[in-house]
Amino acid sequence: MRYIFKFPDIGEGLEEGKIVEWYVEKGQTISSGDPLVKMETDKVVTDIPSPKSGVIAQRFGGLGDIVKVGNALVEIEIEGVSGAEAVAEAATTPALASNQQVEEKGFGVVGTIEVAGDGAYLPASGEGMQAAAQPVQEQKRSKVLATPVARAMAKELGVDINQVTGSGPAGRVTRKDIEGYGRKKDYAAPVSTSPQPPATARIEIKPLSMIRRTIAKNMIRSKQNAAHMSVMDEVEVSALVEARKSLNQKLEATQDKLSFLPFVIKAVAQALKSHPSLNSEIDLEGDRMIYKHYYNIGIAVDTDDGLVAPVIRDADRKSLLQISRELKSISEKARDRKLTPDDFKDGTFSITSYGSIGGYFAVPVINYPQAAILGIGKIVEKPVVKDKQVVVGNVMPISMSVDHRIVDGGEVARFLNEVLDYLNNPLYLMLQMGGSQ
Amino acid sequence: MFDLKTLDKYKPIDNKMYQVMDDEGKVILKNWQQPMSDEDLVDAFKDLLFERTTDQMAVSYQRQGRMFTYPPNLGQEAIHIAAGKVIKNEDWFVPAFRELGAWLAKGVSLREIFLYFKGNEDGSRFEQANRMLPVSVPIASQLVHAAGIGFAMNYLKEEAASFAFVGDGGTSEGDFHEALNFAAVWNAPVVFVVQNNQFAISVPLKMQTRSINLAVKGVAYDVPSVVVDGNDFFAMYEVMAFAREFVLKEKRPFLIEARTYRRGAHTTSDDPTRYRTSEEEEMWAAKDPAKRLRNYLVEKKLWNPESEEELVKSFKKKIDSEFEAAEQHPEYRVDDVFDYMYEKLPDELARQKNMLKNYLSTVGGDK
Repeated sequence: MRYIFKFPDIGEGLEEGKIVEWYVEKGQTISSGDPLVKMETDKVVTDIPSPKSGVIAQRFGGLGDIVKVGNALVEIEIEGVSGAEAVAEAATTPALASNQQVEEKGFGVVGTIEVAGDGAYLPASGEGMQAAAQPVQEQKRSKVLATPVARAMAKELGVDINQVTGSGPAGRVTRKDIEGYGRKKDYAAPVSTSPQPPATARIEIKPLSMIRRTIAKNMIRSKQNAAHMSVMDEVEVSALVEARKSLNQKLEATQDKLSFLPFVIKAVAQALKSHPSLNSEIDLEGDRMIYKHYYNIGIAVDTDDGLVAPVIRDADRKSLLQISRELKSISEKARDRKLTPDDFKDGTFSITSYGSIGGYFAVPVINYPQAAILGIGKIVEKPVVKDKQVVVGNVMPISMSVDHRIVDGGEVARFLNEVLDYLNNPLYLMLQMGGSQ
Repeated sequence: MFDLKTLDKYKPIDNKMYQVMDDEGKVILKNWQQPMSDEDLVDAFKDLLFERTTDQMAVSYQRQGRMFTYPPNLGQEAIHIAAGKVIKNEDWFVPAFRELGAWLAKGVSLREIFLYFKGNEDGSRFEQANRMLPVSVPIASQLVHAAGIGFAMNYLKEEAASFAFVGDGGTSEGDFHEALNFAAVWNAPVVFVVQNNQFAISVPLKMQTRSINLAVKGVAYDVPSVVVDGNDFFAMYEVMAFAREFVLKEKRPFLIEARTYRRGAHTTSDDPTRYRTSEEEEMWAAKDPAKRLRNYLVEKKLWNPESEEELVKSFKKKIDSEFEAAEQHPEYRVDDVFDYMYEKLPDELARQKNMLKNYLSTVGGDK
């Protein structure tokens, strides 16, 4: 007989989770306790083990799908149990899953934590004291204080409780505030009856996506904490254009194709070695600097949902080809929303190639708490002076932001000169590549 | 053996930690003698494995939706097993919540533990555990109870100690300080055990206190205190045994800071990757208490690590059947929540009881 395993509330008052990875296939034999699926929830990313032994008869949902608590995850053909017995088991075993979910909210307050933000996007580097301290600060900001009845009302009325100013103790949102909120706003009277705004509405209100909220928080944190300073320059890259062209001819028969980005990543990783402050972090509270002897380069990837910055690890030790393949794989994963928190961890420096879409110079925002971010604009053909002659050159614009708390202008210029030298003359980069200085 | 002289050598103010074994299980003290028989030692290791297996199973049950929030013990077991070997039947056990192995040693059944974490009040009944208090959820509030119990033991002229557990975060609570002070002033035989696992949920110890360690907090109250390697079974056992004797003989409380690391999450609702690094986790994994005791036993040819798999398998069977028994336990009745405090239920409570019953009938019936 069949047993349906429903997605249980594995947190405290969870409503849904996202399928990250399936461990079982239809027809697979499993024992109780074996992992079925990896789920991402507001609280944790975790494996869900099977409560039963048997054979997987059916799986519900694909990667990235959102599953509500209490909805079916898998159907299991149970071994050695037949007929009515199994029905009875199915009816009793996952009792906590749906029926008691509401009761559970008041249960077990030892160490309930609310972490509304999603660390998966543009996270802080996992290094050192600062990183350990941040979640605590974020927690305070991430969730609006509100009475349970106010939360329930807000939900019912479709009011975004984060927009409501609380009048209760410590700014707690109360029932009155929710009632008052609808009256105060001049637009579309409280939102509840029609989820779609009428055609005449002048504005439309949509809840923030998790990723948008995370980006917003990270940007604010960076701008509030880092002392941003920017520098821009141009570099003539005709030799690089030629080098890339010739390498791509070599690769023609393969799946691989080099963009300019791997060259930039190698140039940056190499230059970081002689300019350690650009690969560091400041810990003002601890009165110390943290220098990193590894070179993990975060790459800004534009997706339909928003910006993410997965990391190329140990870029200094990888070949151009390895980096190129990794770039391909992380951008595909980013677009398919398959990146995991591990893909974002421990970046030490970031690169944004905004020019691949458009834009010449820019003022990038540092991926805090890193020391700097380098942006590359669109390569254009421009008149350049060579041997006192004006000729057509290929010019790559570079924009870089640094945290002036950590590093001063002189050092930034020296670093940038080294990067530009490498990009201007890829043979020079080859001369240095992989060396320690 | 840990004695008064050792206590004098490990002053908290010097920030020295009492250790018997190194990270690989090699004894580092000169002229040291094993404090228990080989047989008892093998039993202790089996208990440790049993705690660890139960703990892993409990997390799995929770993930299957068969149990509510659960706080894992992984990495802290040496403290629990040592306490379990020292705490006597007549002693009082005042738990925090993360002392699984010590609970089992005191006589709490697996079924009761599972019931508790399934949200059933019957799980706090502890039918076979003498003088075991239920979990007191407000952090550190239990310490005040323990101090009071110590006072009562003196008053009743009983030769019994009161063992109280708390985490590192709990030492920032007022109750911790009141309890230490009260116990010292009233000569109460209380052993306070601080399991310093480095994090109060996500708050690291360095954000918790400016003190050089947690044992030093006892000094101000004139409570003899010591820092112990909580992942070192022998060190923990010796200090626990010493502490019990000390509090009964000297009629004074004693404070132990057991330095350890919670290798799992704070609870099943917590994601530690958000606040700690894998480097740190690996560093502490190298100090794992099971590994150290196992190495010691293997070195002395008291243990065959190949036998472990079979043993764990048999543990799992037992644990599974206890869990299934807990699942068969009747649901806690709503009437039991309301009916015993007053002879006649006051109107307001009667209204609330009605409301709850009505609500429950809409989501699957009153139990």
